[in-house]
Amino acid sequence: MDERRTGWLLILVLAGQLVFLASRVPGRGHGTALESAGLRVLGPAARLVAVISEGFSGSRESLVLHGRMIDENRALKREVMDLKLRLLRASDLGAEMARLGAAVGYAAPPAGDIRAADVVYVDRASLLRTLVLYAGPRPARVNQPVLSPEGLVGRVVVVAGPYAKVQLITDRAAAVGAMALRTRRQGVVRGSARDLGFGLELDYVPLQADIRVGDRIVTAGIDGVYPRGIPVGTVVSVEPGGQLFHKIALAPAVDFGALDQVYLLDHEPVPDPIKEALPGVRRR
Amino acid sequence: MSGVVKLALGVAAALLVHLVGSRLSPDFPRVMDVFLVVVAVHALSGNTLTGLLVGMAVGLVHDTLTGGLYGLHGFADTIVGYGTARLAQRLVIQRASGVFLVVGLASVLQQVVLVGLTFLLLDPALPRPQWVGAKAVACGLLGMLIYAVAGSMGRNYESRRRSRMSRLRLE
Repeated sequence: MDERRTGWLLILVLAGQLVFLASRVPGRGHGTALESAGLRVLGPAARLVAVISEGFSGSRESLVLHGRMIDENRALKREVMDLKLRLLRASDLGAEMARLGAAVGYAAPPAGDIRAADVVYVDRASLLRTLVLYAGPRPARVNQPVLSPEGLVGRVVVVAGPYAKVQLITDRAAAVGAMALRTRRQGVVRGSARDLGFGLELDYVPLQADIRVGDRIVTAGIDGVYPRGIPVGTVVSVEPGGQLFHKIALAPAVDFGALDQVYLLDHEPVPDPIKEALPGVRRR
Repeated sequence: MSGVVKLALGVAAALLVHLVGSRLSPDFPRVMDVFLVVVAVHALSGNTLTGLLVGMAVGLVHDTLTGGLYGLHGFADTIVGYGTARLAQRLVIQRASGVFLVVGLASVLQQVVLVGLTFLLLDPALPRPQWVGAKAVACGLLGMLIYAVAGSMGRNYESRRRSRMSRLRLE
């Protein structure tokens, strides 16, 4: 093919790709068949590398930690006793809550089950952050919340067989309905450009709202994706914003640099027909 | 070895290096884009058609492993593949330092296209200039190394083949 024809082909290919990219922007939470196919092919390679590197680091750690294990075991036994006591108190409180709730006819939404999934690939360095999970024979589903023991990690955006791609909450395009635990004031948490992009911001909190450094932020359960009460982060700075809202920076509850296993939350999201019936919701 | 097999091996090696590098250091993808090096080194042959097609395919492989819009790297690497091939047609690159410059430039071009695209389509966090520079230098160095190693292997193979042929003639 001569250079002129190749030039035309380049223009055609770039135009096609631009149209494809532009068409994906409004619904960027969902993957394409091509992306799923790519993940299906590359997922096993990522898993193989993860398994081998974990095997190496595991055997090295077991050698190093062998001496400390006995002390740690004793400390853990004490902690288990302490946690058992706390669990007793918590179940007492839970029973009391259930009794009071039944008295006023309150039905809390089901909390949902969690199941573990291995992280096989993490991309923390690109402009937009993501990780790839191996969920096992029971595949994840799109928009499924992903947690760690410390708090919220993100949501599943692409599923390819046993593999799933997760959009982290530190992604600039991610949005989580959240609230301050102390005051119940709601806002929207987004990824921040600060702190090398590992920070979070809490937007749309009015200037007159009471919010302080140290306030814990949890999911508000109002976005139809995440249930209420999952830790998101802690307020580290509050500045007066441009016009009506505070400029609030959060430190994430989760250390995204230390994720090797996460949990998929099997909870019942708001059904699509109800979401689609809401005014202002774009139909796809 | 045919070009397609060489390319497939190059992409597989790039995938392996990318996955292992990301596992060892979270900053690895910030300073090194092995997929781009494969695209740029391949495009040094000067064939614009394969340059753009390989750029698109390898970019999409990279997109599968990164967050954000699927197709961003596909778009950027298409331009890089084509641009590098056009440049290679006009320049006579005989030294490894020339490859360093071309691959470094390709890396800067890719990052400019990526940032421009994400600005148009999304609201991105900008990469710091030092990371852009570091990536350009690292990619250039890797490209230079691959070029030098591949060249020396080719020369060794050729000289061995010639000596074998001359021995056969003498016998």
